[in-house]
Order: sequence, then structure tokens, then C-alpha cells
Amino acid sequence: MLLAHQMAMENPRMIRAEGVEATEFPDLANRFQVMGVPQTVINAGAGMIVGAVPEQNLLAELMRAMN
Amino acid sequence: MEKLLNDQVVEQIQQAFAQIKEPVQILFFGSKTNCDYCGETRQLLEEVTAIHDHLGLTVYDLQENADLAAQFNVDKSPAIVIAAKNGSEVVDLGIQFSGIPAGHEFGTFIQDILLVSGRDSGLGAQTRAFLQGLEKPLHLQVFVTPT
Repeated sequence: MLLAHQMAMENPRMIRAEGVEATEFPDLANRFQVMGVPQTVINAGAGMIVGAVPEQNLLAELMRAMN
Repeated sequence: MEKLLNDQVVEQIQQAFAQIKEPVQILFFGSKTNCDYCGETRQLLEEVTAIHDHLGLTVYDLQENADLAAQFNVDKSPAIVIAAKNGSEVVDLGIQFSGIPAGHEFGTFIQDILLVSGRDSGLGAQTRAFLQGLEKPLHLQVFVTPT
């Protein structure tokens, strides 16, 4: 989650990084089939990463999802 | 009311907050209905922001302050926005947490405060360049659990 927040800082006009406590928002977690945490959902499912990953991996998935 | 943070935890936070540089404004959005964790979340934020004088807290209601919630893209309660404060201006950095930051996520919340206070993402050059060049909105949702 911290990594996503770091990313938002770089372009807050375009980026919103939201940590979501899955047990408090089960409908949303179910919608994205959250199984393991942390799970990062990019633009409502355009991209997805399960588990904590290094900066380079999230960047690569962002590039793929935003293309 | 009984404190959520005991003396030992407050001491640890004080040590972490020794690194605080610039002011940080925390916005809390609660709701009077259907919000089991609103009271506890608000109390937690009150206790944390009382620890350092560079930290401010403003409390809002998701329904009554709908315009502000929309301005900060907040659509849930409880929701926490961790913003920068430059003079009297609150600057949205797109950093939010929906729910109570408890357990492991409490540590992340403290790190979030230090991150915003430092005003630097700390990311690599390639990542910065990509993010700064975005021409479409990016919404990252990171699902976590308290344990």
C-alpha cells in the first residue's frame, strides 16, 4: 500500500491510490475476487497484482494495464 | 473514553515522528449510518495527530460534506485522506485509506504520514517519469486486512 501511495504523490492530479480494508468493504473485495492480501487492483480490473511486489514489478503491470 | 494507543505505542510513534519535516493534514470522512468503524477510526486519528504539532485533523461527514468528499474523490466511510499542508492550503496527494488502519496497516499509516511529511515519493527515475507522463487517470486500490 505504501508503494501505491508513493506513486500517487508523483502525479496526484491523475493518480488516486486508495488502501482498502477488505473486511470492511466485502462487496468491493468480492467484486475484484480478492483472495490474498495485499492485492492491487488497477483501474477497476484493467490490471491486478497479488501480493507485495517491488516497485519495478508494479511499474511493469501499470505500463501493461495503462497501454 | 479509554485510549486506543497505550503509552508504549505512543512512545514508539513519537520516535518515528522525530523524522517529521513538513506539516501533514489528515481528513477524516465518517458517516452517521452504516459505519461500524467510524467512531474508532476517528478516535485513532485524534490520538495519532495529537502526538506531533505538525499534524492536523479535520473531521467531515460523507453525506453532509458531499462536495468536499467529491473534491477529494472520497466515496466510502470511514475514509482517511493524508494530505500535505502548505501554509493554510491543504494539498491533495491522492493518498487515501478506506477503513480503520489497524494491525499491520497501522504501521503503514504511520509511514504514510512520514512519506507525506517528507514531500518526496522516494521512487526511481523510471517510475517517476512514467507516472508524471500519465495522460489518463489511474486508480490504484490496494486491498489489505488488519492482520
